[in-house]
Amino acid sequence: MTTTGIAPPAKARERHGQKLSNGAFALLLTLPGMALFAAIVLYPLIASITTGFFKQDLRFPGRTWAGLQNYADVLNRDFWPVLQNTLVFTVGATAIPFVIGFALALALNSGLKGSGFLRGLFLFPWVIPGVVVSFLWMWIFNANYGVLNGALMKIGIIEESVSWLGEPTTAMLAVIITKTWASFPWMMVMLLAGLQTVPRELHEAAAVDGAGAVRRFFAVTWPGVRAVAAITILLEFIWNFQHFDTIYVLTGGGPAGATETFAVAVYQDAFKGYDLGHATALGGLWMLLLLVLVGVYLKTSEREPK
Amino acid sequence: MRTSGIDRRTTLRLFGAATAGIAGAGALGACAPSGGSTDSGGDAKAKNFGFTSWSLNEEATKAEVNKIVKGWESGHKAKIKTTAYPYNEYLQQLTLKLNGGEISGAVHLDIAWLAAIAQMGKLVDLGDVAGEGGYTDVALTSGQYEKKQYGLPWTTGSIGVIGNQKLLDEAGIKKHPVTIAEFEDALRALKELKGVTPYAAATKVAQLKDIFPWMQTFGCTILDGDKVTIGDDASIDAVEWYKKLHDAKLIAKDVDRFDARALFGQGTVGFYDDAVIGKGATLATAKDKNLADAMVPVPRPVLKKGDDPQALLWGGVLAVVKGEGSDSAADFALHATSDVPTAVSYFGKTAMPPTTAKGLADPKVAADTFTSDWTKKITKTATPGPFWAYAKNAQIEEAVAKQVQAVLVGQSSARDAMKRARDEVTTLIKE
Repeated sequence: MTTTGIAPPAKARERHGQKLSNGAFALLLTLPGMALFAAIVLYPLIASITTGFFKQDLRFPGRTWAGLQNYADVLNRDFWPVLQNTLVFTVGATAIPFVIGFALALALNSGLKGSGFLRGLFLFPWVIPGVVVSFLWMWIFNANYGVLNGALMKIGIIEESVSWLGEPTTAMLAVIITKTWASFPWMMVMLLAGLQTVPRELHEAAAVDGAGAVRRFFAVTWPGVRAVAAITILLEFIWNFQHFDTIYVLTGGGPAGATETFAVAVYQDAFKGYDLGHATALGGLWMLLLLVLVGVYLKTSEREPK
Repeated sequence: MRTSGIDRRTTLRLFGAATAGIAGAGALGACAPSGGSTDSGGDAKAKNFGFTSWSLNEEATKAEVNKIVKGWESGHKAKIKTTAYPYNEYLQQLTLKLNGGEISGAVHLDIAWLAAIAQMGKLVDLGDVAGEGGYTDVALTSGQYEKKQYGLPWTTGSIGVIGNQKLLDEAGIKKHPVTIAEFEDALRALKELKGVTPYAAATKVAQLKDIFPWMQTFGCTILDGDKVTIGDDASIDAVEWYKKLHDAKLIAKDVDRFDARALFGQGTVGFYDDAVIGKGATLATAKDKNLADAMVPVPRPVLKKGDDPQALLWGGVLAVVKGEGSDSAADFALHATSDVPTAVSYFGKTAMPPTTAKGLADPKVAADTFTSDWTKKITKTATPGPFWAYAKNAQIEEAVAKQVQAVLVGQSSARDAMKRARDEVTTLIKE
């Protein structure tokens, strides 16, 4: 089967006296998309980057030039603790669901009885909106009438209720657990798809050669899914690096800033502190880090096919 | 055969890069300034208008507020477009929507936010309308900013301490604690009761502004002219005392006003801080309807006998946004806040006391012991929030609250935290 190109053959166009080159025609086709991109992404992006050099209150019109003051303030005050929180959250909320998702994918790929039903069941958390998931877990973690405390007290693990969202260490853990619950199904599906591309004959041949389960995993399974795993991990890492709703709903960045990531900090600065200059300076630095991650992603996904 | 040359891997790569890149740029782009003007435009004489209030979102009040709205609509053959946001998100949502010109008509404001919103230049001066309302002087003042009447008072009261007399009796507390020392003794006695939180004080940032009356109790003025006095010994003593109660589990962790009401409604809290409407709001969700009889206003304990109990003035006003339907909205605001049958009915369902002399004199209001006790014991010595006059009042309160929370969770000493709070507040009040 031949796929048809969108541009008409050059001869046909010449016949009608058109002088549009293939490149120009392609450019013409992309113009609506580019215009849309410019309007809803490029313009706000440039506007916000420039705002980082001004002192501007969200409530009032007008702004004054501030040079690099906003960036200096951000680097002297917020940037490093926020970066640390973001990294802790991102690494935790990527690694834990990856391990769970991979384990489940391996189980489902092993021909487990009822795997079709289980695959559907495990996808359930993924289809629930993030805010709903967050409210659900907020109720579970509530210090005073939460289900988790009730259950742990009933079975005698704790004697008095724990403030899961009110203590810095447990708050970050709670946020990571919530995000894990919401995102392991996606990782499971991606990894399961990768596992299903590994020929079963390779496993059988390795088994005939005397390879045990662990050896087969590292010699056959892992090389087969490594590319998918790398892309899945990187995408999840990038998304977690800019994740907002779970953290904001559960802790609002607290207690005492212990779960304040870039997404929450920029939101707080812009829409609670009304300090657009400060918010966009922090957002600019955040975007630079994201661009590095996107670069790593592109490099990784280019390298894998080789 | 010619193919597009784009395989699945490339598609996945491009998809990933595009979504990551656009999301990143979009996140930053969301902060792009949208500009703002002081006039929303539109026909001021239009019959239809909007009404924005957090009371339309709360269980205890929404039915009654909706009744007022429906009554106006049927009586004036007009349409009111209602909008509600939760109280803790309200100021932020209102500010953004006002700035974007998306709100018209009447808006419900906490008196603590009036200065910040008035400074945006979008509110109508209701000086002429206010004269028709018959409001008390105290109530009328709560709606003023820089000598202009931007709000018609809907509720005026204070935030104080509410006690559960039934639990106090069970704990053997014969009389309400007067001093801090007596209060601590009472809390320890309450802690002996199984499953009881002695004092459901705010420990979440949203309502940790409740620390201000305690700071004042310990002798901190908070603000002396334009000089911030947070960070002095009295404020440090107050925060260290709060931390002591927290560590001794005499106050609960991770609590805001709504958690405290829920816990009090379950009959498991000895004391908590709330406004005078706390009674109505708590009872709306309480299982035990006899709890009303046990709810008592308790003057905030003082450092030494003879000191004035500290309390924060509290209240709500109805303001009107310039532009579409502003004249009708002003009439609606006047009706909702000053019509005696409306105000008395509202009080009956929500325990929000009226703001007019006639409304307060109504037998149904005057006969309510809880409200009259509250006025005598708590509102009498209440003072306005120290930073209400500043545009960044909400940010100032949050800055202090975050530092107090840092002390509570052990991330900072009271001395260091209060010094940081003073520096941050000093910067914010200059902006």
